[in-house]
Amino acid sequence: MSDGGELYFHEDHVATQGLDLALLRRLMAYLRPHKGLIALALVGLVLGTACQLAGPYVVKIVIDRHVTPRVLPGMWGWIALYLLALAGGMGFLYLQMFSVSVLGQRVILAIRREMFTRLERLPVSFFDRTPTGRLMTRLTSDVEALQELISSGLVSTVGDAAVLVGTASILLWMNARLALVVFAVLPVLVVFVELLKGFIRDANREMRRKLARLAAFLQEHVTGIAVVKAFVREADADRRFDAHNSEYGAVSIRLTNFYSVYFPGVELLASVAVALLLWRGGIGVLSGALTFGTLVAFLEYAQKFYNPIKDMSDKYNILQSALVACERIFHILDTEESPEYSVPAVQHVTAQPPPVFPTAEIREAQGAPHASGSATAQRTPSSVASGVRESQGVPNSSGSGTPAVEFRDVWFSYKERGEPVLRGVSFVVREGEMGAIVGATGAGKTTILSLLCRLYEISRGQILLFGRDIRAIPREELRGAVSLVLQEPFLFPGTIRENVAAGGPAVEAAVAAAEVAAFAGAWEGGLDTEVGERGGRLSVGQRQLVAFARALAREPRLLVLDEATSSVDPVTEHAIRKALDNIIAGRTSLVVAHRLSTVLSADRIIVMHKGKVRETGTHRELMEAGGIYHRLYTLQFEGRPAVPPGRQDRGYPAAF
Amino acid sequence: MARHRAAYLLCALGLFVSSLFGLLIPWMTRAAIDGISAPDGRDRIVRAIGWMLVFAAFHGGFRYLSRRGLLATARRVEMRLRRDIFSHVVRLPLSFFGNTPTGDVMSRLTNDVSAIWLFLGPGFLTLIGTVISYVLALAFMVRISVTLTLVSLALAPLVVFLSRGYGKAFHRLHRKVQETLAAMNATLQENITGIRLVKAYGLEEAEERRFAGNCRDYYTHNVSVSRTSAAFHGAIGFVAGTGVALVLFLGSRLVIRGTLTLGGFVAFNAYLAMLAFPTMALGWVINLFERGGSAMGRINEFLGLPAEPRADDIRRPPGGVPQAWIPGDEGRNLSKPGPGRAGGEGPDQLHDGEAEEAREPVRAFLAVRDLSFSYDGEGRGEALRGVSFDVARGEVVGLVGPTGCGKSTLLSLILRFYPAPPGTIFLGGREIDSIPLDALRRSVAWVGQDPFLFSDTVLSNIAYGLPEPDPVEARRAASHARILSEIEDMPEGFLTVIGERGISLSGGQKQRATLARALCAGGELLLLDDALSSVDSETEREIFDELLSTRAGRTVLFSTHRMAALSRCDRIIVMDGGRIAEQGTHDELLSHRGVYFDLYSRQMLSRELEDAS
Repeated sequence: MSDGGELYFHEDHVATQGLDLALLRRLMAYLRPHKGLIALALVGLVLGTACQLAGPYVVKIVIDRHVTPRVLPGMWGWIALYLLALAGGMGFLYLQMFSVSVLGQRVILAIRREMFTRLERLPVSFFDRTPTGRLMTRLTSDVEALQELISSGLVSTVGDAAVLVGTASILLWMNARLALVVFAVLPVLVVFVELLKGFIRDANREMRRKLARLAAFLQEHVTGIAVVKAFVREADADRRFDAHNSEYGAVSIRLTNFYSVYFPGVELLASVAVALLLWRGGIGVLSGALTFGTLVAFLEYAQKFYNPIKDMSDKYNILQSALVACERIFHILDTEESPEYSVPAVQHVTAQPPPVFPTAEIREAQGAPHASGSATAQRTPSSVASGVRESQGVPNSSGSGTPAVEFRDVWFSYKERGEPVLRGVSFVVREGEMGAIVGATGAGKTTILSLLCRLYEISRGQILLFGRDIRAIPREELRGAVSLVLQEPFLFPGTIRENVAAGGPAVEAAVAAAEVAAFAGAWEGGLDTEVGERGGRLSVGQRQLVAFARALAREPRLLVLDEATSSVDPVTEHAIRKALDNIIAGRTSLVVAHRLSTVLSADRIIVMHKGKVRETGTHRELMEAGGIYHRLYTLQFEGRPAVPPGRQDRGYPAAF
Repeated sequence: MARHRAAYLLCALGLFVSSLFGLLIPWMTRAAIDGISAPDGRDRIVRAIGWMLVFAAFHGGFRYLSRRGLLATARRVEMRLRRDIFSHVVRLPLSFFGNTPTGDVMSRLTNDVSAIWLFLGPGFLTLIGTVISYVLALAFMVRISVTLTLVSLALAPLVVFLSRGYGKAFHRLHRKVQETLAAMNATLQENITGIRLVKAYGLEEAEERRFAGNCRDYYTHNVSVSRTSAAFHGAIGFVAGTGVALVLFLGSRLVIRGTLTLGGFVAFNAYLAMLAFPTMALGWVINLFERGGSAMGRINEFLGLPAEPRADDIRRPPGGVPQAWIPGDEGRNLSKPGPGRAGGEGPDQLHDGEAEEAREPVRAFLAVRDLSFSYDGEGRGEALRGVSFDVARGEVVGLVGPTGCGKSTLLSLILRFYPAPPGTIFLGGREIDSIPLDALRRSVAWVGQDPFLFSDTVLSNIAYGLPEPDPVEARRAASHARILSEIEDMPEGFLTVIGERGISLSGGQKQRATLARALCAGGELLLLDDALSSVDSETEREIFDELLSTRAGRTVLFSTHRMAALSRCDRIIVMDGGRIAEQGTHDELLSHRGVYFDLYSRQMLSRELEDAS
């Protein structure tokens, strides 16, 4: 899925039932913390509008008191007043525009942050099923649409409304009968606007739908270009694109035609209003019922009155699409968080964790200490551990330490009611041990690691980490104790140091152990070299080393590593090998192993096949047992010169 | 294009007429107001108002016509431009699509083309309108009062100065906004793609802080934009208002002195107001022009890229007599598995060109000679190194080897998805470069690794390679690809829509559908690029049985990871690291105990495991 492409894919569903009050109410809730700004905006609005509307009235006075009677003295004062009103009007306009847009920006800031916070807490499965492009649209275009509404739409709409109300009141106050003449065109205008508004809205919606189709077609043909070419269907694609393109073009022309009627129509009606005003007003002046000044002021006010009505339908459109965007944003905000975020955060880690799962079996396991300090500070009597182990039917093995990782009959599938990926997986890795998971692609190896980090919730069974059910361990604590290295090393933009520091504070030691210092030292920037977008400036192998360092920087109790299968040049390969040895030495780790040397150095090997643990034990034990592992191993070496462990690593990764 | 230019000229003329009528409206206001103080006041008022309505109607009418004409023309230009780009893009080589993100292609065909419409439509409309209004309004204003015109023009430099300053500041600030927006979106994207890492490391709070920082920057820059914009609006309003105040003051004096009528004074104010909007809109128009220009630049970048050669554009075989592609002589053509393909009368058969046989020693149906290849600019090293092999007509050859050994590359080179070095690949005795691209691709049926289907009906998808969807052929192909019964079980059978807008198929179903599509299209050479990886081995066996029994002269070259499928083919080519490691029949390779033996034993073991579980 490419980025941004998805953006055009979904046809947007515009709410047909006009304005959704519940939605507006929810949106209004974001305004509540900004009462001061709202007050400022209101002051600016009311005073600014008043000043603005004072202008034509001053003109009326000048005409009536000076121009018509031809009296020059004293006019200066009125002109000065006009300028004062103007300056005040503009000052208040500035105040109003500025405070409303700051208000809008703050609301958007709050919504954006809230949305991001929610996003970070959504379950990984949500990301699995939602294309990146679509999510990006929600978080960018939809928020932008809302911002557009709030920052510019709101500013002008509020201003326009104030001008409309103010003008209408002044007109009525100056001369109610003449005011009614000005308003006479209004019903016709309203009908005209209402009539076209429907057409324009429908055409707009139709146009978006056609554009979405066109974009979907385009996206499909770009993604499937190889098929188009292999089947020599370019001409056909042209023809079909043309059909979509013409449909879109036809609707867009229809839309511009509506607008071509709309704008001149509104202008014409405004002219009619002016003509009516001149007619009634002129007769009024003739009969002495009206002064010249009043007529001139009326002409100016009429202009001010009809201007905001012109782009009413546009504003309505902006409002509607913004509300649709808003609905989609709220939809994300309402998506449920991943359950691990509801586990209450525990500030201090006690030696005796609170009993969470009060079943007999687990009470036993709770004997296991969970100290954040030294991994071997306290040890559970091995009898307890082995008792658990035997009751779970885990094959015997030589370890005698405290169980660090324990899977008990774990079942899991990525989709609800989907095919299980893990079918009753049970195994134990003890403290200080290195466990290696081997098996063919699709055996469920990587899944085990994801589950251990609680990226997904298991369907059945139990996962214990240092004796505690991971569902009972607060998220911060769980993730502080476990370091995960993914197969595809994902780096954030920034320097190498920043990337390593994202893991934890022990940067220097980590960088040295992971052999990062070795290659970074040769560069001018050293650790402060920028890694580029997605670590693009580093080679695949170097990225891997940085990922190792990041994992080490947090001094984890447990290291969980998905060994990369990608092949790298021999020098980097050697560095990775060395780093891996450094990392694993003296640490509890669980590694999905693809390289034979990694497997050979493991204390315990877990052989997975089709979601089940088929064999467990040390290399020696498994070789002696003569099972699957034995056969896999002999296959690897049959007919080949004996290679000492640690050198034989470029075999066929798919097998292990 | 000439037609469009004429339309533009006509519309400009319409706008001129419309503006003229529009400017006559305040003139009538003047007449009406001045009429009040005249002896025959009532009549003069009524006459002026009558004319005013007539002018308003003409103004509206002409405006409607020219606006409509201009915008529709701009839309047509947009449509045509978009069609041209698509037509070009779809013919660009595959490497273009490998190097260009889909979003980029999409954005040029949507956003950039729209930017051009904005510039050709509303942009031009406003520009023409502005120029005409300026010229005409000034003429009317001078006619009313030269003094007042000069006074109001005195403020114009200030307006221009303010607008320019604002434009520059806005540009600068807006770029900052765009930059911070990009940073914010990058953080978002990083977090969505790297969500597993974020969660695994408990980086949520740190990322939230980072994002909050981005948001804060964005907010700050946006607020400075609104501060500038609010200040500009205030300032320009003040300058314009000062102009009005000046006109009010001087105008009143002129009226008192009797050198100006009250009507003239009111009309002058109306003209002044008419100029305010175009002056402010000028900045917007300039912005549209800039955006349109850069959009055109980006589009031209695409249009300037060399497309794949079309049928009449053949690279001449070096040293040979330039020879056009001649449709195969019917007698020599082998029976065709599929019906006529798209572009029916085109050359759809390959023939062993006798003319070349003397010159070219290549006799095999498909011959690859010392083929080395690397994807340029990708720095992956050589994808293929000195690969040579022959495939006889009707032979079924399997390709195996670890991931990344060059199987897919080899198959895409045969289709000329990427250019192979000259003199390395021969089909039907001819170098593939000398075969017209469409003819070459029509004689090869290809099924890719990634089962891509269009969001359309099953029938259109399977019959994709045919000029017209043929239900009978589609049925036959579906049956050969072992997907017929599943299609028949779908709600609307062959007319069921699949994909994004319809029902979704499983990986195995998709693969079988793509196979059916290739079988339906025909083609003498069938290339399967690990095309059945998600199909269960039993079905795969059935499909191969079918292929082998009905191959009827079809040559098959297929790559796979499944060893079981290989035992049935005529010959197996084992690749490793871009080279051919071994070649031979299944039995030969097994007895050789090399790479193939290893792969085979391993797979047999996991088959055993599978059976055991």
